[in-house]
Amino acid sequence: MKNHASDGAATTPPFFDPKSARLRRIIFFSIVVVINLVATFCLADLFRSSSWHRAHFPLLGIFFILNGLLVLGSFHAVFGAIDMLRGRRRAVRITQLADGKDGPLKARYAVVMPVYNEDSNRFCARIEAMYRSIEETGHLDSFDFFILSDTRDLDLWVLEEVAWTNMCRRLGALGRIYYRRRKKNLSRKAGNIGDFVRLWGGGYESMLVLDADSLMDGADILKMARVMEAYPRLGILQTPPRLIRGASVFTRLQQFAMRLYGPLFIRGLNFWQLNGGSYWGHNALIRIKPFSEFCELPALPGREPFGGKILSHDFVEAALMVSQGWEVWLAWDIEGTYEEAPPTLVDHLKRDRRWCQGNLQHLWLIFARKLPGTVRMHLFMGIMAYLGSPLWFLFLLLGTWLAWDFTASGLSSLPAPPSLLERFVGITGHAHGLILISGVFILLFLPKILAITAALFTPRVRKSFGGALPLIAGTTLESFVSLLLAPCMMAAHTFMVLSIVCGRAVGWGSQNRETDGTAWADAARFHALPTLLGIVWTFVALEVGVVFTAWMSPILLGLLLGIPVSVLTSRSRYGKALAKHKVLATPEELRLPHILRLADNATSSIDPALEASVDGRYGIVAAVVDPYVNGVHVSLLEGAKLAEEYRILAEKCLSGGPAALSSEELTEILYLAPAMLMMHRAVWLRPVDGIHSTWTNAVESYRRRSTATLLAAEA
Amino acid sequence: MVLSHPPLASLQPLTESELDEWEEAYAAVEAYLQALRVRNRLLVAELVRGILWRASARRAAEPEMPARLLAMEEALKEIADWTQQVLDEPLDEGRLAARGRLALLLTDMPGKWQGVFLTPAPWPEEFQAAMRRCYLTAGPHFAELTMEAKPLEFNAIGAGAAQWWETMNRRPIVFKMFGSVLLLLIIASFWFIFFNR
Repeated sequence: MKNHASDGAATTPPFFDPKSARLRRIIFFSIVVVINLVATFCLADLFRSSSWHRAHFPLLGIFFILNGLLVLGSFHAVFGAIDMLRGRRRAVRITQLADGKDGPLKARYAVVMPVYNEDSNRFCARIEAMYRSIEETGHLDSFDFFILSDTRDLDLWVLEEVAWTNMCRRLGALGRIYYRRRKKNLSRKAGNIGDFVRLWGGGYESMLVLDADSLMDGADILKMARVMEAYPRLGILQTPPRLIRGASVFTRLQQFAMRLYGPLFIRGLNFWQLNGGSYWGHNALIRIKPFSEFCELPALPGREPFGGKILSHDFVEAALMVSQGWEVWLAWDIEGTYEEAPPTLVDHLKRDRRWCQGNLQHLWLIFARKLPGTVRMHLFMGIMAYLGSPLWFLFLLLGTWLAWDFTASGLSSLPAPPSLLERFVGITGHAHGLILISGVFILLFLPKILAITAALFTPRVRKSFGGALPLIAGTTLESFVSLLLAPCMMAAHTFMVLSIVCGRAVGWGSQNRETDGTAWADAARFHALPTLLGIVWTFVALEVGVVFTAWMSPILLGLLLGIPVSVLTSRSRYGKALAKHKVLATPEELRLPHILRLADNATSSIDPALEASVDGRYGIVAAVVDPYVNGVHVSLLEGAKLAEEYRILAEKCLSGGPAALSSEELTEILYLAPAMLMMHRAVWLRPVDGIHSTWTNAVESYRRRSTATLLAAEA
Repeated sequence: MVLSHPPLASLQPLTESELDEWEEAYAAVEAYLQALRVRNRLLVAELVRGILWRASARRAAEPEMPARLLAMEEALKEIADWTQQVLDEPLDEGRLAARGRLALLLTDMPGKWQGVFLTPAPWPEEFQAAMRRCYLTAGPHFAELTMEAKPLEFNAIGAGAAQWWETMNRRPIVFKMFGSVLLLLIIASFWFIFFNR
């Protein structure tokens, strides 16, 4: 370990022998490279036997990369399966450091949830569930909770304050759950976490970083804290979150696939990454001291989209941590860790647009000094997750060109020289091609085959997915829809990469977590280019020949059906129909975990005694008119004096309503305690004709409500 | 419970306009108490009447002031003075108002302590202690750490690429790339349509 790490860390022996770790990595990557080289050689031999064409050379180069990625992915599953077969005891499991440990925690921990224009009641329900779950372990005193708001919508800001206050009030958690909103959301989520670390980080040993849709079981959080205390070399402990609450077909497909195939990949990943793991941005425990020392993100050379501020901060933070001698582990056996997924293909691709730009920025880090090999591998895999699509697209284009040229020139009908395999092993050109294609298909479907086989032959797992039939039906449906979605994703990612290369930077949008589905018009607009591409490509393929069109049909169908597939998979009613028959069901869906039940029953953020979402008194209006909402809002502001210019602005807001001010002006007013107090007095004191109807209607609504309440009571 | 208000015999006749004006004042004070979630109708009526009584006394000295303004000023002043006494904290007027309202909410005045609201001392100890305990903060005491970005150190390829990337003008290159692709597509289309037969 490098001398940057703390003394305690330096004197602690490593959890896993570095030599054995190196050996594991050599074995894993050697196999991947060798298999890829063999496959590439086979293709080259096939090309040679069909006489060289100009397109063959780039095709071979691209095949080497794409097949490499395919082998890499498949062998994660293979090694994961081997690791599973060897048994839990023989697997490398960092959480074993917490086995048998009890007693109070030595340090204090922060649970931090950055939020950005989210539904406040929903994220508060998750906080409440985790609060109650940790409370059940009896270690609540060691944890503080922070809602770190970067919300820009001013109404939502007020709703967040109200939801948080209600939650604290009803849980008795004042001084335990905190809420902070940043006035300027510099550097997005990374800046938000950084701001927390700068202000309060010194008070905590570690922070559990969550997303607004994250949910974690208290016992697992406690276990992670114990691992952190037991192993001072540990910088980040990442958990593999499971997808939950999928309603649309698209989300259910994702959560089923991740739940069924995910564990194999996770175990395979853990096989080689070990202490050189990665951080996925949430559901991870981070040691704060080294994070503050080494993980402030440097700016990349040049401007956005490739340069400037780093968008995908998580990988880089893990890289910086590992490069300084701290260990980053994946706690693969932590089960109570959950997140939600985008509900539709459109939402998924919108999120991918941000991730794509962020991951492509990592190209710079490949060339950074002092980064260990595992870190570079993670960065490379992240980059290729998006760069793979344009390469695949190019591969298909070159293949089409080749087929076109062969058909047009009649070269394919010429007698071909024998391939090396034919000459030395006796495999004919036809069989050679079939073997190669079969090999690629086996690699493609191997993880699915391994996962379904393991699930079917393990009664506990089979039962947890609803039985053999739902499991087989789910896998078949998932495989079929994945085949249709893949070309659409490929085209979308290709256009994303192209737009980024052309200099279009991405903004920071909030994530849609609802499943109200995609409208046909929206889908048509969003998938217009891939569909058009599919139409043109189909004509070209038909021109080449029927056989070639048949070969290309999975790709062409995926492109042509992009719009209907996107719309139909976005519908939650079809998702519910599938759920009724346990198709695409996950164990969490069939047997709701305790933490999810806690979250479902969590309603402490909703209380009629303090509300800011009533008709006529929504958000900002409530913050001005309602005595309690105003009291909460002002109490969270810093003291200030009301300068004349802001007094004028406040008067303008009173006479013209909130719409009379620009968003920036309104923000300034909302941040000024004296202005908010002055406006509160004014709306109650001034005669009806002296202020805007927004305020008078809001004041009047209390009387209407009281009358309505009385009438309801009498009824 | 003893209701302490002047007898009906002390009522004086009011004009229609005075009645309208005091009706508006009544409505405003009642709405404010409703906004404070005081639900008990008798309590609301008692409090409104008491506040309006004071406002009417002020009106005698300040006849030009609208009744609503006087009544609401009295209501807000009464609440602020009362919370000042309960909290026993030196706060400026503005802060006190917010702090007092917040304390009322957090102690669950509407649910548990309606009967105590705006009554003179002594108050139940539990209530007073709860009021003084209640406050909101965005976070615990600061425990600051520094976070400073360290510049990335690139190897030879990375350093060269960074220098090139920062200094080159990308726009013409991108335009040329686009132009070339477009031209190729047009040529390919022409060839496909006219010569591939």
